[in-house]
Amino acid sequence: MAQVPVQTIHRDPQLFYWILFPITIVMILTGVLRHYASVLMASAPKRLEQKAMREQRRLIHGMNLRGNFHVLSQRSFATRRDALITAYESGTYLKDPERRGQAPPNPMSDPSSMEGMMGMMKNQMAMIIPNTLIMSWINAFFSGYVIMKLPFPLTIKFKSMLQAGVATKDMDPRWMSSISWYFLCIFGLQSVFNFLLGSDNAASQMAQQMGQMGPQAGQMFGPGVDPDKQFLAEAENLAVVEHHSVLDGVEQRLLEGIKV
Amino acid sequence: MPSELELQISPIVQESLVHNSRTLQNLQSLTASLFGVSAGILGLESYDGFLFYLAFSLLTSALFYLVRVAPSSLTAGPRYFRGPFEFWAGGLMNGLAGFILTWTLFYGLVRA
Repeated sequence: MAQVPVQTIHRDPQLFYWILFPITIVMILTGVLRHYASVLMASAPKRLEQKAMREQRRLIHGMNLRGNFHVLSQRSFATRRDALITAYESGTYLKDPERRGQAPPNPMSDPSSMEGMMGMMKNQMAMIIPNTLIMSWINAFFSGYVIMKLPFPLTIKFKSMLQAGVATKDMDPRWMSSISWYFLCIFGLQSVFNFLLGSDNAASQMAQQMGQMGPQAGQMFGPGVDPDKQFLAEAENLAVVEHHSVLDGVEQRLLEGIKV
Repeated sequence: MPSELELQISPIVQESLVHNSRTLQNLQSLTASLFGVSAGILGLESYDGFLFYLAFSLLTSALFYLVRVAPSSLTAGPRYFRGPFEFWAGGLMNGLAGFILTWTLFYGLVRA
């Protein structure tokens, strides 16, 4: 097998100072800016009126009781469960009990739910706008330059991705253009942001996208959810709990633990 | 696997578990970038570089295990991380992107 000669391309060292470093610095600064923008734009949680707060807290109370029943004795658990189930089923804790059974209001017309959607929109915007700007900035100024060589070989499929804007047929796909350095920066700068801004920063797009996939905390009481239905479901969940205490058989365990 | 009753008798605190995992993750992503710097300066190419990364991140995990986890975990039972797989292999994927970034950067600056 004939040895393929290694391609060498002589490049102006000025390429590093005028393309590589500007892109990297701009990417890092954009991440820092995005972090602080999201910190500044985060709206403080709105004060709820007392009834609505009670509705939420009572539901959480039921969930906590269901999750931690093992620390209660049989009697106190039964008392709590009975009280909660009765209240849930009669709708005592509802925000406006006379609206039971009606369809929930349209989330678009409710001003408080508009707030939540605005927050989501703001986050989306904070992600999309800088990306579009930087992308077009790189395309306008730096397209068509080959700046670096990857340290590992790639198949020919990557050529169109890495060498966008460089129309050279025989060039090794290891050579990469400025736009692919931008993509590498998007994926790899997370550790730099961890170092600069602490671990729960909002700088990286990747982390934000992960967060959107996951379940959202506010969804439980979100608009369009009928609290009456939630209460009834929670009552049912409580009713089927089979109680056992963590202190059952504790004497046995204590005696086993004592070495003679 | 501990049963439900055992978990209730000696509960695992979710927040501490998350904090531990996050600490490990931070360490791994930071060291991965530094390994990238060293691999780039050494001028490693293709498989050499990835093997370098594999060896050194496993070494980091091993040191972390020996110094921080083992002294207390061997006496109290292994309950500081979700499982051995996450502890040993989770960091490999976390740091890979950072490793490739700095590897490419320093390889480009020093060699090519």
